Formats: sequence, structure tokens, C-alpha cells
Amino acid sequence: MESKYSEISKNIQEEAKKLLSQGKVERIIGFGRGVFTGEITPIFVTEPERAEELLFTPECDMMLAKYLLDYKGSKTGIVAKPCDTRAITVYLAEELIKREDIFIIGINDCEGLEENDACEECGVRNPVVVDLEIGQPREEEIEVEIADELEDMSPEERFEYFQKEFSRCIRCYACREACFVCACDECFVDSNQPQWVGSSIGKRDNFTFHLMRAMHMAGRCINCGACEIACPEGINMRALTKHLYRAARDVFQFEPGLNPEEKTLFATYRLDDSEQGFLD
Amino acid sequence: MTAKEDFEPKILAFLCNWCSYAAADLAGSSRMQYPPQIRVIRVPCSGRIDPFLLIRAFNSGADGILVSGCHPGDCHYLDGNYYARRRFLMLKELMQYAGIAEERVNFTWCSASEGKRFAAIVERVVNRIKEVGPWEGFDGRGFARREEEMASGE
Repeated sequence: MESKYSEISKNIQEEAKKLLSQGKVERIIGFGRGVFTGEITPIFVTEPERAEELLFTPECDMMLAKYLLDYKGSKTGIVAKPCDTRAITVYLAEELIKREDIFIIGINDCEGLEENDACEECGVRNPVVVDLEIGQPREEEIEVEIADELEDMSPEERFEYFQKEFSRCIRCYACREACFVCACDECFVDSNQPQWVGSSIGKRDNFTFHLMRAMHMAGRCINCGACEIACPEGINMRALTKHLYRAARDVFQFEPGLNPEEKTLFATYRLDDSEQGFLD
Repeated sequence: MTAKEDFEPKILAFLCNWCSYAAADLAGSSRMQYPPQIRVIRVPCSGRIDPFLLIRAFNSGADGILVSGCHPGDCHYLDGNYYARRRFLMLKELMQYAGIAEERVNFTWCSASEGKRFAAIVERVVNRIKEVGPWEGFDGRGFARREEEMASGE
């Protein structure tokens, strides 16, 4: 197990060195150890000598794709887990980044990360878009179900459950910072003309915030679990977004981040879309 | 809290300028009777309605919403309502899952000639919402008491 990760790290370092010294990329975004704490943190490598700092371990749970938006227009390499490649795919589908600007070092046969429950619900174990593969791709497909823990509850029980969960929210927006979908120029929570939702902590505004957040995620969220890891209060962040993921999959046969050519859910339509629940 | 029988719901009706608003206009000018509990908001197209507006309506104390646009295929802007249809379906899924009674979230289509249908839809929506009772807000505190407090200047 250990050796597998050190081998991946070694491969990444070798390839990164080559890419940087050949001038194929200007920088590589990857994981490394922080200076003070020694914990895994995103690092940005620009010189080939520093390529040895790049690592890959089961603790690499940040979504690096968001940093690509800071380096538009210059060739950037990125060390990407399969979920990162899905995030990049969403960006490509929404035309936020250009394919020729990025160089993806994809990690094959991802086994999931420590402390991320979402990994158990993930069926994508090989990169979706990739320029250079590390390791052997996983051949067999795995069957996973995106669990619905609240399935058995009545609507009233669910309402109470969410009220309780969201009342713990301190509105620090760590979920937003961690999420790759949250790449709007101005976030709706920061807007005060119009003010979509009050910014103070309270049951009412918290619930509204989480509903609006989930609505923004619909058709983009890939259920990577970054929000849940980031949340300091341990709120069940994925409950609402997961439900919308399932709904988009079941009703529109749409799953985000699997095909860069396919437009995202709300950017397109079909003439025979479902009207389930509409008044006739 | 007022008794359920004489509960007068506040319903926000988002009507598209080209069809549903004209339908409401037709219902009015042909002297059709329909319940007065809707507050009409005229929007250029159902595709203009941001789901945030609808969530915000509940945050601000609306007992329910009604969104109506042109029938699919009849949009003045050709495909605005097709985009809207997906958004509304997902919003409905979200609200239902979060535990907001599905009777409060209503979507329909109404063409400019369907004044009669519009009146019938409003009646249906008002009855649906009357059945589930007043919206107590995301915090469950209710809005009626808040209004009383505001009226008494406290």
C-alpha cells in the first residue's frame, strides 16, 4: 500500500521534472508537504529542481482544479485524481478554461482517500480527461450507489433534520472555498444588490443559504465531498446536492464531469424533457 | 395564528409577459372570478426566473408560489421556457427533498388565450395551499406573529 503511493509520487516527480525542464508547462500544481505543519497542501512548482516536493498520498483530498482558473492563458500542469479530472471536465464543458492551456497528469486506479465518505460512492477510478497517465488504469468497472440516508424519512422529518443540521452552520463559507463549482466572479452570498440571502447566522437565512447553494450545484456538483471535509461544524453538506445529482441522473440521464463535449444540465434542453409535477 | 378556515394565503405568481400575464389580463377583462390571494409579478420570460427568486419568496414569507410561462414551443424568445422547465423540475425536487410541501411550489403553462384556464389554475393553487396551511418559515416561527409585532411597532 505504502509502496504504491511512493511509486506514484516518484513517477509524478520524474514526469514533472521532464515537463518543467523541457518548458512544456510553466508550472505544475500538485500536492506536497506544508512548510510548518508537514500536512498535505497544494503546492505550485515552477522550477525543475523543486519537482521532488510533489507527492501523492491518501490524504490528498483538496480539489486542485480551482487553481487552474487563476492561471488562464498560460500552460499549467496539474496532478489530478479522477475527481479532479471530472472537475476539469465541468470547467471545459462550461468553457471556463481552454484544453490547450492545461496539461493533466492523471492518476490511474484511484482507491479513494482517507476520511472522505464520498469516495465510497464514486465509480470513476480512472481519469476522464488526461494527457499523461500515472500507473495502470483499472479495467473492471465498479458498481456504486449514491446512498440516500434520509430516504425513509417523511418530508416533515427531513425538514426538521435539515433545520437542525443547518442551524449549526456558522456561515464561514469554507464549503464554498473548497468547492470547485464555486467559481462565480461574485458569489450570491456576497451580493448586496440584490441581497439574495441575509448574511447573519439564523435558522431562516442558514436554510435559505443551503437551499440556494444546492440549487447552484445542480448539474455541476460531482459529489466529490470536498465541502463536507471543509465544514468545521460537520454538517451533512452533501445531502441536498446528492439528491439533485440523483435527480439529474434519473430524470435527465445527465451526470456532470464525464464528457467535456456535453453541455451542463442547465445550459441545454431537450424538447421532450420531463414535466413531472407540473400542474396540467 | 389564525384558524385554518379563514387563512388567506399569500401567493407569489411569476407570470411571463407574453402568455401567462396576458392570460391573467384576459381573465380580468372578461370578468372571470378567481381568488384574490395571488400577487402577480410580471417577468419578461419564464426563462428569466432565477430559482433564487423562488427560494427567496419563501424566505420572505410567501405561503406558496405559482410560476407560469408560455407552453413549450410557444416561447416569445423561442426556447426560454425549455431552459426554465429543467430548472423548475430540479427546484421542485430540491424543495420536496428539503421537506417543503410540494403543494407550495407550483409550475404550469398558460397561453394568452387561456383566461379561463388561468382562473381555474389560480383557484386550484389557492385551494392546494389552503389545505397545507400557513408557511411557518424556514425557522418554523411563522410570519403572522412577526407581522403583528411589526404593526404594533415593537
